[in-house]
Order: sequence, then C-alpha cells, then structure tokens
Amino acid sequence: MSPLRNSLLWGAMLCFASWSGPAQARKEAAKPSQTRSVSAATAPTSVPPAGAAESRLIDIYNLIGRSHHQEALQKAERLVDDIPHFQLAQLVYGDLLAARVRPLATMGDVPTAMATSSAAALQDLRDESLKRMKALRERPPAQAIPSQFLTLSQRSKHAIAVDASRSRLYLFENTPTGLKLIADYYISIGKAGISKVAEGDQRTPLGVYYISSNLDPKSLKDFYGAGALPLNYPNVLDAKRGNTGSGIWLHGTPPKQFARAPQATDGCVVLANPDLERIIRTVEVRSTPVVIAQQLQWITPQAAQSDSKPFENVLMAWRNAKASGNLQQTLSYYTPDFNSNGKTLDQWTPRLKAEMSQIVGRSVQIKDLSLLRWNDSAETMVVTFGEVADGTRTGWTKRQYWIRQDKQWKIFFEGVI
Amino acid sequence: MKHVRYYFTQSLRTMTLAATLVASIAYADEYADVSQLVRAGKLADALVKADQYLVGKPRDPQMRFLKGVIQRDSGKTTEAITTFTRLTEDFPELPEPYNNLAVLYAGQSQFDKARTALEMAIRTNPSYSTAHENLGDVYAKLASQAYSKALQLDNENQAVPPKLALIRELFTPQGGKLTKANTAPAAVAAAPAPVTKPLVAAPVPTPALAPVQPVATAPAKPAAPVVTAAPVAATPAPAPASKPVDTSAANQEVESMIKAWAVAWSSKDVKGYLGAYGKEFDPPGSQSRGAWEADRRTKITSKSKIDVKIENLAVSVNGDKAVARFRQDYRAGALAVSSRKTLELAKKGERWHIVKETVGG
Repeated sequence: MSPLRNSLLWGAMLCFASWSGPAQARKEAAKPSQTRSVSAATAPTSVPPAGAAESRLIDIYNLIGRSHHQEALQKAERLVDDIPHFQLAQLVYGDLLAARVRPLATMGDVPTAMATSSAAALQDLRDESLKRMKALRERPPAQAIPSQFLTLSQRSKHAIAVDASRSRLYLFENTPTGLKLIADYYISIGKAGISKVAEGDQRTPLGVYYISSNLDPKSLKDFYGAGALPLNYPNVLDAKRGNTGSGIWLHGTPPKQFARAPQATDGCVVLANPDLERIIRTVEVRSTPVVIAQQLQWITPQAAQSDSKPFENVLMAWRNAKASGNLQQTLSYYTPDFNSNGKTLDQWTPRLKAEMSQIVGRSVQIKDLSLLRWNDSAETMVVTFGEVADGTRTGWTKRQYWIRQDKQWKIFFEGVI
Repeated sequence: MKHVRYYFTQSLRTMTLAATLVASIAYADEYADVSQLVRAGKLADALVKADQYLVGKPRDPQMRFLKGVIQRDSGKTTEAITTFTRLTEDFPELPEPYNNLAVLYAGQSQFDKARTALEMAIRTNPSYSTAHENLGDVYAKLASQAYSKALQLDNENQAVPPKLALIRELFTPQGGKLTKANTAPAAVAAAPAPVTKPLVAAPVPTPALAPVQPVATAPAKPAAPVVTAAPVAATPAPAPASKPVDTSAANQEVESMIKAWAVAWSSKDVKGYLGAYGKEFDPPGSQSRGAWEADRRTKITSKSKIDVKIENLAVSVNGDKAVARFRQDYRAGALAVSSRKTLELAKKGERWHIVKETVGG
C-alpha cells in the first residue's frame, strides 16, 4: 500500500517538529533523578491509572513518529474501542485509517468538506493535542514547586495548581518533607480564557482558592460528569476588587465527551472523569488549596522558604502587637478598607479588642501556618494559621488576606474558619 | 455461458481449486443455467436450481458461491452471510467469499467486520485488486466515521454505506478484473486485453459450445468481445451485419444518456434522475418501485451537495439492449465513494432507459 508510505509525510511534518518531544520527555522521566514526574504518569496501580487514556494516546503518537503505523493503528483501534468518546483518539484513528488510502498532509487530515464545516471543532482538537504534548514534553523541574506555595502546613495533605497556559492541573501530596507532584492532568478552562471579573464572562478566575465542598454526583446533571469540587470563588481579594460570578468548580465531563477543548467551559476547570475521580478520592475538602495561574512559576523549596521569611517576620510582629495589648499598634496592621464578612474595621474593632483582652499578658503561638502568595497587579498573601494563646489548649483557626501597600504588609480581611 | 470457456485459462491459485475445477467441468451447464436465471432476474428459480445441485455436491464452492450471490440479490442478507462465511471456513484460501462477506457487512454498516474480511481476502491473495479497492473504500469509510466521532458530527452521512464491488461468480471474471489480478500482476490498464487473450490462448474442450473464434480482429470498444460472445448463448442473435454502424451511433446515445443521468443526479434533479429508469427497472433487494423511488428521493434531496463523476465508461450495445460499465466517483459532503458500476439499458422508442443497476462487475 503505497499511501501508507506516503503517510510518512504526516510523520515527518509532525513528529520531527514537535511529536518526538514526548518521547524525549519520557526518556528523561525514566531517569531516577526524575522519579517524581514518572510516578505522575506511570504509577502502577491495579485500577487503570488516571491519565491512562492520555498516555495511551501519546504512545500512539510516538509509534507514528517512529513510523510504526501498523502497531499505531492497532493501539488506536483498541483505544477508541475502550473510550469511544475520546475525540482525539478518534482523530488519530481516523488519520491512521485514512493513511491507508491516501497520503496525509496534516494531523487531523479530515476530508475537506468536513474540515470546512467543522473548522472550529477541528482546531480545538489540534489545540488539545498540542497542549497535551507540550505539557508532557516540558515537565516541571525536579523537586520544584509552584511559587504560590510558600508555606503549606501539614493540615493540608494535598495541593492543586492549575497552569492555564498549558491546560494542565498538577496534583501534589504535602508530605512531611515537602510537596511532591503525584499526578498531572489535561484540563479545560473558560471559553473566553482566564481572569474572570464578572458573572457570565466565561472566564476562569486566577488566584488562590480552596476546595469548599464535594458535591454528590447523583445530585448533578450529566453535564458535570463524575462529580464536582466547588472553589471559594469569589475569594476575599476577588470581592475586594468587585469581581462577580459564582459556581467555579472543578468538575468532570458529560457522557458524550471524554475530554473537552482547551477553552470550552463557562469558567470552571474541567477534567476527564477518571482524572477527576482520582482527585476526588485523593484530596480533602476545605484544606486543599487550588492555585489557578496563567502560567505557573516553579521554584525550589529553598527559595520558597527564604521568600516566606520576611513575611513571617511581619506576621510575628502583628502577633506580638496583639499580645502586647496595644490596640493602636495592632490596628496599624489593618487596611482602612478592611472587611470581615461584611463588617468594616470600625465595626470589627470590638471583636479585636475582645480577642486581645482574652490573651493579654500571654504569648500567642502561631501554629500550622500556611502562606499562599498571589502576585498580580498587587502583592497579596493568603494566610491560614491556628492562633493559640499559651495556657489554652485550643484556639481559632484564622484566615487573613494580606496586601502589600507602600512596602507595608497589611491585613484586609480576617476571619475564623 | 461464456465463463465456462475461461475455466482452464485462469491461472489457478490453489490445488483445491484445481481439484474442484476438474469435478466442475461436467457441471458447467448447471453453473451456466443458474447464472442465466440470475441474469434474467429469476432469483427464486435460480436458488431452487442451485439447491438441487448442492444436494448432490454439498461442498461445491462454485455453486455455493452462486447461491450466496442469489441470496444477496434476493435481499436475504443473513443467509448470504452464512453461505459466504461457511465458504471461508471450508475454503479459506479463496479470497472471493471474503470479499463478498465484506460487501454484505458493509451493506449493514458493519465496517469493522468488512475490514477484517477484506484483510483476509488480501492475505489469501495479495494481488486481489477488487478486495484492495473495496478495502480502500472501507478504510475511507472507517476513517470518515472516526473523524465524525472526533468532531462529534451527527451520523447523517453514516447512513449511506459505500457500495463495494461484489464478485458475482467464482473464477469467472467478467470485464477482466480478476483476470488482471491473477494473470497479469503488473497489469496494464487496458481492460479488453485480458478478455480476449484467454480466448486465443486456450482451446476449451467444452462439448456444448463451439470455441469462439478469436474475434479480436479490432475490438474498438472494450466490451466488444463480450458482446460478440453473447449470441453464442441461447439468445437468438440479431443480424450481425449492420451492427458496427448501429453500435457506434447507439453507443453515443447510451453514453450521452448516462452522462445526463449523472448530471441529473449531481444537480439533485430527482425527476430527471428517476426518469432515467425504465418501467421495467428492477429495484435492488426486495424493494417495491415506490419504496425505492422514495428512498432515492430522500437520499438525494438530503445532501447539500452531490458530485457524480463517470470514468472509464465502456458501452456495449446489442440491438435495443445495452450494457454500460464505468467507474463512478460519488461525493456528497464528507462522503466520497468510488465504485464500479454496471447499468443495463433498454431502448423504448427513441429513448434509452436503465433497467438494471449493479455495483461491481
């Protein structure tokens, strides 16, 4: 079959340009020094691992890259058999079949009429394919963590970071020795992209959030797939900025779609159902932070530690002021537009006084501190800790939002959680 | 009848075939009779005759094959599938039953099964061109299905299965297709050559039929030898003297008629399209004429755009009857099907009408 030979063109066009990438990434990932990312993709488990569909797809791409078309076709056939609604798999399966009768000019070489009538859908699939390959090719540096996770207390067993530019969600386990990347998944974001500001703008918000609940899939429409983990959007910073909207969730895909296009949602972060199920099984509600960034910056844990030091000093100074009983000095740590669940600073000051009177004369321990840094047009910090006065066994778990104004860190929200 | 003469001229593929063949000679008449009945549209009679024969020779591949074709033509798809499946089990070295199985599966939109069957056909005979072409159509269809699923298109276009070429008779190629595959691997495109060659090559010891002279004096039209052979069969031959002149004029009439038919189809002119079919046209399967027309109308009007191209048109005229063979490239939306087609035509008054439409052959 000579068309098959011609289909090398397809291989040549794509594989050498970009498709050999994943193969390279995998090779590197196989080295012991990078075991972290290996465990993400290939951790052997009895159940089919999340992300398995993607690794099977990439395997097929790699076979095409090495011109093993027959094997690629067989594997593609099995993949579409197992997951018929995995559109990218259908696309590569179609290509491999079409390659038997005609040369392929491009990836997703659908007949012209179909390409014209479904141009947008085809472009979406090509984008998805590129995003998946790019994310697998360009791995986070070994041991590195997203720059937002300055300090994460052991109260948070897991953490999630979303890189919108890569259509990727990274799942971390917070071990006693630090954050370990345990998996990463292809995700879809808002149709209109990122930086949500208003209800209905079909954008995915950027910022630091927490998973606020776990919705029973039985209570959800099919559209949401295997389940939903709502985020606390709009958070205090969003509210301060007047951003509106609600119902930003991590959720699954509808029965007819294994995965959705990179930009397809009304603002939610959407994962394939097996991937979402793994996340739901893994993470804890309320204590799992979810950072959504346009592009994640990866830093070493040492850098995170040294970055958090100056802020920790400010936080200790606030604590000392509060424990000293000096109201004016303590109030100087709060912004004029401070807000605590609807109360202005004036309305909230009696509460602060009451707290201070309870602890006066005793030193206060800050326990289980988490510092989540969020820098955009402003430098902010989402701070969570247990505030326990000496001599008492329990205290409050507090969350504060700090902002850096005129080189001074100030609190613009404080509440008990 | 004419096929009988070709038996010995085929390069035989296996010993099994050769063995069958020896046994077959005596029964050549029965094959011919059954084929004759099929061509005359007397499918029920043909089936009875085939069954009678098979009582005595239940394993006979040729008659079983004919039976499968008859069942398929009668719309008995399930039975036809059984017949061809058994043939593949008993004679796994024969590619034709696999090919026809694939045609039947494709007709049921079971393209994966069609693909498997065709891949088997090619495995048994790697140079089997019909199976290659059919497999190409099936791959294209499967690709189109996968693409539709990838793009989440509705399955509108999947309702139209590609028309694959059915092999009508074992070891008795018409139009030289099989001959080409079997005897001339690097075959030249010349269609008529294989047809005439065997006639010259082998004097056939068939008692009933006089060996036809190599009339290959100047076969201007590809199908000419076939037509000249026809009178040898039971058909009372019309005076052959005036034929060459009439033929070329009539050929042109038929050619332009077929082109008009394709144009009407392409322009979705349902009236013009259906008007090309004569009263005596026999709709495929067990459909009534009304049902067939309604089906055609829906199929044609539901397409946004249709493009039908005719290639390698070969017309042979015999009095007021004609046979046109050509390659039909059909395109509608994402669907593109290329198949061989045979139209049988009859002349009523000044006009030619289609009386039979078959794919392949």
